[in-house]
Amino acid sequence: MILQTTREDHLIAWLTALAITIHLAESALPSPLPGVKPGLANIITIAVLVRFGWRVAAWVGVLRVLVGSLVLGTFLSPTFFLSFGGAVASIAILGLASLVPGRPFGPLGYSVLSALAHMAAQFGVAYYFFIPHAALLHLLPVLMTAAVIFGIVSGTIVAAMFRSSEKRC
Amino acid sequence: MRPGDLLVLLLAAVLVSYLYLAFWGPGTAGEYAVIHANGSEWQKVSLHEEHEWQVPGPLGTSTLEVRDGRIRFSDSPCQNKACIHSGWLSHGGEAAACLPNRISVQVIGRDRRYDSISF
Repeated sequence: MILQTTREDHLIAWLTALAITIHLAESALPSPLPGVKPGLANIITIAVLVRFGWRVAAWVGVLRVLVGSLVLGTFLSPTFFLSFGGAVASIAILGLASLVPGRPFGPLGYSVLSALAHMAAQFGVAYYFFIPHAALLHLLPVLMTAAVIFGIVSGTIVAAMFRSSEKRC
Repeated sequence: MRPGDLLVLLLAAVLVSYLYLAFWGPGTAGEYAVIHANGSEWQKVSLHEEHEWQVPGPLGTSTLEVRDGRIRFSDSPCQNKACIHSGWLSHGGEAAACLPNRISVQVIGRDRRYDSISF
């Protein structure tokens, strides 16, 4: 039996493969704190959101975390729940943001919103399920600062990607 | 950059500064301090009244000074004076100890800055 696939399925598969590649490459980078990493794979999610809309972006975001964790062997481990919680929250906030009338956000705004939501959800999961200790709250300002900085970096990269692809066309 | 992006950046800056203030801001001031000598409680002292407490220990008398809602070891017969170097304590949970003279002091406030401290 051959599964009928749509053009959109192929698009999602291609883009997810791209996001997974970045996700895997990034997981090799050392990190000063668990949960802190640049989140460069998010570049793909944001670019897809701007170019193809929220539906495709949501698929790419969720599949990336799922497949990434299978490949890295962290599926169903605490790491997985942290990053899955983060991914779901960031996709949810991107959905809300893209519904705002007048479409006031560009890649930078989407990226910072999504980084903040990702970090906040990740922190929430860590705090409520794994380490419910008040001392963890002292990390929150640092983690959120990191999220804002990495959000700005990814957003700027997405904006630059669109600028250079427009020039070429 | 779109107008919404600027708004997001502003909100993010406000959020992050609020978090620093809320979680890294000064702890609550201590109300009183408990002085332990020889392993048992010697006295609870208010941090609101200026006073010098003379606390007897195995080596001699240590002096604890209370001023402006803070407390410190101001004099001690011990050798390395680690207790005096601990300086002023004012926040709930902060503590200093003179191990040779078996005297310690801990500030008690509404909430504690540390659960426990080990050296």
